[in-house]
Amino acid sequence: MTQKYYEFFCPVKVIAGKSALEHIPYELTGLAAKRPMIVTDKGVRAAGLLDPVIAACEESGLEIVTIYDDVPPDSSTTVVRDIAGIYRQEKCDSIIAVGGGSAIDTGKAVNILVSEGGDDIAKYSGAGVIKHPLKPFFVVPTTAGTGSEVTSVAVITDEAKGVKLPFTSSFLLPNAAIIDPRMTLTLPPHITAATAMDAMTHAVEAFTCMAKNPLSDAYATAAVKKVSRSLLSVMDNPKDVDGRLELAQASTMAGIAFSNSMVGLVHALGHATGAICHLPHGLCMSLYLPYVLEYNLETIREPLGDLLLSLEGPEVFSATPAARRAEASISALRKLRDQLHKRCQLPRTLKETGKVSEDQRNQIAEMALDDGAIMFNPKEVSLEDARAVLQRAWA
Amino acid sequence: MLAKRIQPMVSQARRLYVELMFQVMGRALQAVSEVDDAVKKETQALPAGFLFEMMVMPNGPRLIVEHTGLGRLHYHGASAPRPVDLSIQFKHIAHAFLVLSFQEKTAVAFANDRMLVDGDISYAVRMTRVLNRLESFILPKLIAERAVKEYPSNLHLPHKLISAVRIYLKVATNFVETVRA
Ligand SMILES: [Fe+2]
Repeated sequence: MTQKYYEFFCPVKVIAGKSALEHIPYELTGLAAKRPMIVTDKGVRAAGLLDPVIAACEESGLEIVTIYDDVPPDSSTTVVRDIAGIYRQEKCDSIIAVGGGSAIDTGKAVNILVSEGGDDIAKYSGAGVIKHPLKPFFVVPTTAGTGSEVTSVAVITDEAKGVKLPFTSSFLLPNAAIIDPRMTLTLPPHITAATAMDAMTHAVEAFTCMAKNPLSDAYATAAVKKVSRSLLSVMDNPKDVDGRLELAQASTMAGIAFSNSMVGLVHALGHATGAICHLPHGLCMSLYLPYVLEYNLETIREPLGDLLLSLEGPEVFSATPAARRAEASISALRKLRDQLHKRCQLPRTLKETGKVSEDQRNQIAEMALDDGAIMFNPKEVSLEDARAVLQRAWA
Repeated sequence: MLAKRIQPMVSQARRLYVELMFQVMGRALQAVSEVDDAVKKETQALPAGFLFEMMVMPNGPRLIVEHTGLGRLHYHGASAPRPVDLSIQFKHIAHAFLVLSFQEKTAVAFANDRMLVDGDISYAVRMTRVLNRLESFILPKLIAERAVKEYPSNLHLPHKLISAVRIYLKVATNFVETVRA
């Protein structure tokens, strides 16, 4: 009898492609929502990304009742409470989050408050606290990387206590994720590169870590293939609509993969580095990915070797002897990083970031060991192991 | 027909086994936190008075230990003096049996959604490492390799034997003490 067991869950309707935004009014009406609120940040508004969303709704006679555009990069409990207040005051009945990870997480948290009641979001922190479906909630991602549009997690900072509150419930998942290439067309090169490498890392870790399963594998390999094929061409030609859509879809697919099979040491190190050195998440992912794969190599030789097909295509795959494929996959990722470094100076080592001091490395190692992601890394990680990986990633 | 009659016996045996293993583990956790530096290093980071629980949903067997300070763990049996800080919950007694009979590694059980964490995930990560260390101490190497992700390389045989003897001794005395009390 097989010892294998897994669960896979993704009830999010994905609405993707050309003129996807124009489907929002229809989808809202289908859920009997008439008074949507937009939750977003100043950057999204300044980039003019709200205009097509608003126009799409107005043309269908659906009025956006109110827009909150002041979500900070690290959303807080106060912000969530304020937005919930506006939602209630304006008698809204649904939420559209437009933005990256922070706007999406804020939208999820606001939805908890306006659906469950009260002003204290901390009360709902933890796993499985929410027991009922929430208000209609749509997500329009404006970066192609986090995959937050398909994850059942939100993280909100409690400023007073100085802690990050996690919220997990499948009810946090939006009713629909709208992937429209117009939303990522103007992303600057270094953000395009870093966020795409975040998606790549989600897929690679989902495919090589302990909770991998056949369904998430399918999403992961497809995501790796899309990023490998499209990232450099988008870097060279930022207005490439098809390429942008490929990256946006890859991000969502990688999100579906990792939210069902988790991530590992790259994320544990990346979370710690982000917290201590204030480096962007995607940058940390790109930086640590090959070093962690080298560390895990002997435990993940087979799946990592299989990924070569998605990374380099059938010719390279079949020309590489099976025993060399895992190493070839790592080389392919290194090559991609070199190309990105050439195009936008995306750092490949801690030294290249210019933001990490040697003595911060110990702190990073210790903090990474406390990160939940380390639980799913295929190889057990000790403090010495984490330090050794950081040493290799230094220069 | 036979299956119908055997099933209750199987599930009762499973329940008894899980209860017994929880008792052994609770005592072993207390013992190992007194003798093993690697475990102490992990547990020292927990706040004093921190209550850790492992239980089977919805109201099955449970084990509760408290960090009393300086890395020391104290076994409370199956009832907590106050609400626990961290709870690892098996979804079903069958899943607890898989893990506690060392057929499924703790980390794999997490990965397979066999159990849930209620509480701070960083403490859960720490306690998983403590449980791994514990399992590799109290079990013969062959079984321990199955139970933990990686058998610690710094656990050489003499050291292990000495420590294991001490842990078994401590577990035994603790058992006797409980019986007497
Ligand atoms: Fe990530």
